[in-house]
Amino acid sequence: MSDRIVFDNVSKFYGDVLGVNRVNLSIPPGITSLVGPNGSGKTTLMNLMTGLIRPSRGHVSILGLTPDQPEQLFHLVGYSTQYDSFPKGLTGYQCVSSYLRLYGFDRAQSEQLTWAAIDRVGLRDAAHRKAAGYSKGMRQRIRLAQSLAHNPRVLVLDEPLNGLDPLVRAETIALFRALAKGGCHVILSSHVLHEVDIISDQVILMSAGYVAAEGNIQSVRSEIEDHPMQILIRCDRPGELASRFFAEDHVVEVRLHNDRRGLLVKTKAPDRFYLLMNRIALDGFAVESVAPCDDDVNSVYEYLIGAEEPTR
Amino acid sequence: MNSLFWTQISAIVRIEMKKTFFAKRGLWIYLLALAPVALFFTHSMVEIHEHGARRQMVQKSARQLTERDLFSIGIGMSREDVIARLGEPPVSRTRNRRMRTGRHSSIIVPTEIMSYSDGNNELVLAVQNGAVTGIQKASGISLGQDSYVFAGVFQFFFLRLAIFFGCLGIFMNLFRGEMLDKSLHFYLLTPVRREILMIGKYLAGLLAATVIFSTSTALQFIALLLQFDAAVIAQYMDQNHGLAQMAAYLGVTVLACIGYGSIFLAAGLLFRNPIVPAAAVLIWEAANPVLPALLKKFSIIYYLKSLCPFEITLDPGMPPLFALLASNPEPISRYIAIFGLLAVSILVLLAASKRVRRLEINYSAD
Ligand SMILES: Nc1ncnc2c1ncn2[C@@H]1O[C@H](COP(=O)(O)OP(=O)(O)OP(=O)(O)O)[C@@H](O)[C@H]1O
Ligand SMILES: [Mg+2]
Repeated sequence: MSDRIVFDNVSKFYGDVLGVNRVNLSIPPGITSLVGPNGSGKTTLMNLMTGLIRPSRGHVSILGLTPDQPEQLFHLVGYSTQYDSFPKGLTGYQCVSSYLRLYGFDRAQSEQLTWAAIDRVGLRDAAHRKAAGYSKGMRQRIRLAQSLAHNPRVLVLDEPLNGLDPLVRAETIALFRALAKGGCHVILSSHVLHEVDIISDQVILMSAGYVAAEGNIQSVRSEIEDHPMQILIRCDRPGELASRFFAEDHVVEVRLHNDRRGLLVKTKAPDRFYLLMNRIALDGFAVESVAPCDDDVNSVYEYLIGAEEPTR
Repeated sequence: MNSLFWTQISAIVRIEMKKTFFAKRGLWIYLLALAPVALFFTHSMVEIHEHGARRQMVQKSARQLTERDLFSIGIGMSREDVIARLGEPPVSRTRNRRMRTGRHSSIIVPTEIMSYSDGNNELVLAVQNGAVTGIQKASGISLGQDSYVFAGVFQFFFLRLAIFFGCLGIFMNLFRGEMLDKSLHFYLLTPVRREILMIGKYLAGLLAATVIFSTSTALQFIALLLQFDAAVIAQYMDQNHGLAQMAAYLGVTVLACIGYGSIFLAAGLLFRNPIVPAAAVLIWEAANPVLPALLKKFSIIYYLKSLCPFEITLDPGMPPLFALLASNPEPISRYIAIFGLLAVSILVLLAASKRVRRLEINYSAD
C-alpha cells in the first residue's frame, strides 16, 4: 500500500468556475499545510481528496485508494470540513457517536471512542449540550473530534485553527504534532502562512486554483523571515497591551487602531508573537480576536508567489 | 460483510427516524393523514346524534312503524289519512309560512311540520290546510353505503393527495433536506457505500410513511364504524369480508408508500425544488388512464387502482376529471399489480442508486 496522497493532473470546474486546475501532488506523511487566500482552491482540494466532489479531470488516490470507495477510504481518513453545520438536534456527543456506529463499532466501542475523541479536544463538560448551540471554537473542536474519533491514518482538516483561542490553539497544534509523529498524514488548510508554517513539514501554496509553490517549510520560511507580518488584535485594553508589545524586540511597530478598540502589531517573528499571545491571554487581558490583516496577507502572497494579488 | 451492511442500515434508520417522524417541518404530514379520520369521526358523531333523536321519536310515537309505512305517504294526502296510517306524529310543530299570491301580495299560511321515524329512516312532512304539501325523507345509516363513501375518499383524497404529498414531504427531504441543512457530508464521510446509505434512508422514510398512513387508514375505519352497533359490524365483517377489505386498504396504503417513496427519493436526488417533480408526477399519475399501454405501466396509481377493494363505478353525473381519475379500463390481477408496483419501485431505486454514487456536495448553489 502506498503511503502517499497523490493528485494526478487533477482539475475541477464548477460549471464554468474554476475550482482547481492541473494539480499534481504527492503528499507524504507528516503535517502538510494548504495555504492560500479565499477562493484559491483549498477546500476544493480537500473535497476532492474525500470524494465529496469528483474531479472533472485527473485522478486522486489516497494511500492507494480512490475516493469513490468510501467503504474502505473512511476507515483510513477523517475529514473536518469548513461547513459550520450539524445534524439537527444532536448533542456534541451524539454527533460523534451516532456516526461511529456506521463504522461497524458496537455500542460499547463507539462510546469509548467517542469519549476518547472528546477528551482529546477538551469538550467533556459540554459533550451533552446541543452542538448547534456551541460557540464557534467549540464547534470547530467537535468537528475535529468527529474526524479523529475512529483513529484515521489521514486527517484532513479545513481551517482547523480558525476561531480557537490562543490556549486551545496551542493544544490543538500539539495534538497535530503528536499525530504526525505517529506516522499520520495531517493535512490542514489556512489562509495565513504564519499560522501554520512553524508546525508544517511541508506547505502547498495555492493561488487562484493553481499550486503556486510546494515544498519543505525551511526554504519557504527563510524567504519570509525578514518580511514583517501585520496583525490586528481586538481587546479590551489596547493601550496597556501596546506597552507590553513595545518591550519585545521582534515587534517592529505598534499602532492603536482608528476605532481605539484594537491594536495593529507588526512583527518579524510571528511564532514568537503567537507564543507571547498565549501568555497574554493568561494575564487576564480579554482578547477578542487575533487576525492577520488581510491586505498584509496578500502582500505576503505577492512576495512569496511573485504574482499580482489574486483578484477575487 | 452482509452483517456490516445490516449494522449500517439499522444505524442509518436510527439516525434518520428522528428526522422523519419528529421534524417540525413534517407536522403538516400528520395533519394530512389525520384529515380523513377527522372527517369520518365527525360523520359518525353526527349519525350517532341523529340516530338517538330518531330512537326517541320511535318511543314517543303511537305505533311501531316500518320503512314501508313511511314510504306510503305521498303529496296531497290529507292529514287524517296520514294520521290513520302513521298515528299522531311524535314530533310536530307549527310554523307560519309566507306564501306569495301575486306580484305584490302574499298571505301567511300556518304550516305543520310532522316528523316520523321507524328508528332508522326519518320522514318529515309539511302539512298546510289539512293536506301534505311537502315530503322530505332522510334515509338512515347503512354500512354498505358508507363503505362506498370510504372507497371514494380513499381513492380521491387519501391515495392521490394525502399519501402522495406525505411521501413527497418525507422522501424528498431524505437527501435534499440534508443538502439544505448542510449536514449531508456527515454521512458521506463515513465508510458506508452510497447505495447502502440510500437504502437506509429509504427504509427510514418507509417506516415513517407506513406507520403514519397505515395508522390513519385503520383509524379511518374505526372512526367510520363507530356509529354502528356491534351486531351490524359483526355481520359486515362476516358477510362482506370486512376484515379482508380493511386488510386490502392497509396493503394498498403500504404499497403506495413503497411506490411513491421510491419516486420521491429519486426526485430528491435530482431536483432541488420540490414543486417541479411534484407537479410532473401528479400530472403523470392523473393522466394514466389516457396513456398508451406501455407507459401506463410506469406509474404507481395504475397498480394501486386495481388493488383497491372497491371499483368506483362511473356515474354519469360525475365531474369529468373525477370520472377520468376513477376509470380503470383494464383492471389487472392482484398478484400482477403487486409485482408490477414492486418492480417499478425497484427500477426507480436502481436509477436513484446510480445517481447517488455520483452525488456531490454542493451547499453553496441555491
Ligand atoms: N459549489 C461551488 N459552486 C461553484 N463554485 C464553487 C463552488 N465551490 C467553490 N467554488 C469556487 O471554486 C473556487 C475555489 O473555492 P474553494 O472553496 O476551494 O476556496 P478556498 O481556498 O477553500 O477558500 P476559503 O479560504 O474562502 O475557504 C472559488 O472561486 C469558488 O468560488
Ligand atoms: Mg475553504
